[in-house]
Amino acid sequence: MADQIKLRQVDEYRWEIPQEGKMRTRGLIFASKEMLPKIREDKSLEQVANVATLPGIEGPSMAMPDIHWGYGFPIGGVAAFNLEEGVVSPGGVGYDINCGVRLLRTNLERADIESRMETLVDTLFGNIPSGVGSRRKELKLTVPTLKQVLRYGAEWAVKNGYGSADDLAHIEAGGRIEGADPEMVSQFAMDRGKDQLGTLGSGNHFTEVGYVAEIFDEALAAALGLFKGQVTVIVHTGSRGLGHQVCDDFIKVMLKASAKYGIWLPDRQLCSAPIQSPEGRQYLGAMAAAANFAFANRQMITHWVRESFEQVFKMGPRQLGLELIYDVAHNIAKIEKHLINGKEKTVCVHRKGATRAFPPGHPETPQAYKETGQPVLIPGDMGRYSYVLVGTQKALEETFGSTCHGAGREMSRHMALKAAKGRDIIKELAKQGIIVRGAGKRTVDEEISEAYKDVSDVVEVTHGAGISRKVAKLKPLGVIKG
Amino acid sequence: MKRDLDSKPEHQKYRTLSHTADLGLRIWGATLEDLYANAGEALTATITDRRGLRLKESKEITVEAPDREALLVAWLNHLLYLYDIDGFLGREFKVRELSPERLTATARGDIFDPDRHVGKTAVKAATYHQLEITRTKDGWQATVILDL
Repeated sequence: MADQIKLRQVDEYRWEIPQEGKMRTRGLIFASKEMLPKIREDKSLEQVANVATLPGIEGPSMAMPDIHWGYGFPIGGVAAFNLEEGVVSPGGVGYDINCGVRLLRTNLERADIESRMETLVDTLFGNIPSGVGSRRKELKLTVPTLKQVLRYGAEWAVKNGYGSADDLAHIEAGGRIEGADPEMVSQFAMDRGKDQLGTLGSGNHFTEVGYVAEIFDEALAAALGLFKGQVTVIVHTGSRGLGHQVCDDFIKVMLKASAKYGIWLPDRQLCSAPIQSPEGRQYLGAMAAAANFAFANRQMITHWVRESFEQVFKMGPRQLGLELIYDVAHNIAKIEKHLINGKEKTVCVHRKGATRAFPPGHPETPQAYKETGQPVLIPGDMGRYSYVLVGTQKALEETFGSTCHGAGREMSRHMALKAAKGRDIIKELAKQGIIVRGAGKRTVDEEISEAYKDVSDVVEVTHGAGISRKVAKLKPLGVIKG
Repeated sequence: MKRDLDSKPEHQKYRTLSHTADLGLRIWGATLEDLYANAGEALTATITDRRGLRLKESKEITVEAPDREALLVAWLNHLLYLYDIDGFLGREFKVRELSPERLTATARGDIFDPDRHVGKTAVKAATYHQLEITRTKDGWQATVILDL
């Protein structure tokens, strides 16, 4: 039970779960003292300890301040495994492979668009299929085309007229994870993906038009192309049904593999296989393919965001300046090189509800951000604000270059529905100057602002702990929800 | 997740359990066949209002898994697959053949139409986390957590 998990305070922002029992390493939680009672309410700390039992884990089993109860791994979990004995676990990535966030800048200021927000949000809602079971009727992919998407990711989208080559330089891994193997993606997964490319989906996924409300670091903001009052767009979605199916397919494979390789599991959802085993390699190939589908998905949605702005404001692309600042994955396993006890080692870093946060000068930090560090995008809830951060050297040294990914829920969906009962959430938000369109009232109600933790508390911990640095705060003006 | 304190009301087929980010289902059945059928209904009820679905389409489904718990996950995820590929949602389920490793069922229901049906909650997958099927004094009980 969660209350039996021992926690020792390391400093203001760090808490340690001592190595005990079958744990191969300690647990390390980034959180403030105020966050702990809530964290202790569920079993997420037990999940951090469970991950620490997996073979080949390097460094501690970590959790970011937006930690909450997942299945298998906690949400907000970060764990790295060496290639010699280490494992890869589909449960350490999650069902929504490469769920992620991208941020676009514009040349527009808040005052330029406020009077047209209703039209803009309606246009976005019309152009981007959203909601339960959303699909694109006009864009059904054939199997060979879908395989191209899986292999080339956002590159495929750009090559087919969705966006520009410049976009690719502003996406994690260039919008294409190497080693993607479409042959490892089942026919079931392909069936689910064929008409879902370019769709938002449902739940916490959204496209949001907002503005820069506050700047914390002028120099960094300027280097990222951000200024106060500027209109921005955030897209948050992932690999849709294709990714969910890849995860489910490989959990079945890994349940067998765990037994075959003698991996002891405290929770079946942690099932895994050695990274170097056929099962491990097959999963990584399929996961990369699903991740590429997600990069292509966000790239195509970006194209329709640009079209929507052009339609509503009757401006050309140059005038609008809807350029991609960055696109990050927050559900993924990546093969990366890290310094461990002074030695460079190749590891498989699982980030489940955690964002890569590489520092200035890192080889994988894109050229445009060599001086600033890699941009990190932290969406909040639809009524409050989101954050732009950058990665730091401290993150690279301590968390395998990782930080938080969002606010994290505070209320269950059921509680949120209760809290929203008898209220008109869309009207309430409109009074605050936020236009919301959702495919269903229920999704909007489930996603009410107070159902989420205050994302600023989460961000303060990562900033205070030095694993990322605050650049700017964005506030929403219009949101489309699935 | 809160443990349910009250025992199951008579004739209830399922109820939801609160879980911060996701959703748990507690399902009951007099027989294992009923348990799987009721799980199908519970899944459909999570996605839409079942009452709006007509019985106009029929699907024959066979799934396999290493044990009866994994079979429940495989069954629910196959129903999600059918929903994703052409919008099919079952309203009534009849499990025709069942072993711990294999289930054959008929699902009757409708194609989801956003103009006619209420979209409730999108479900990504049924998970193995805290998955359980147990015998009760009057039948079977299952717990499964859905990733939303």
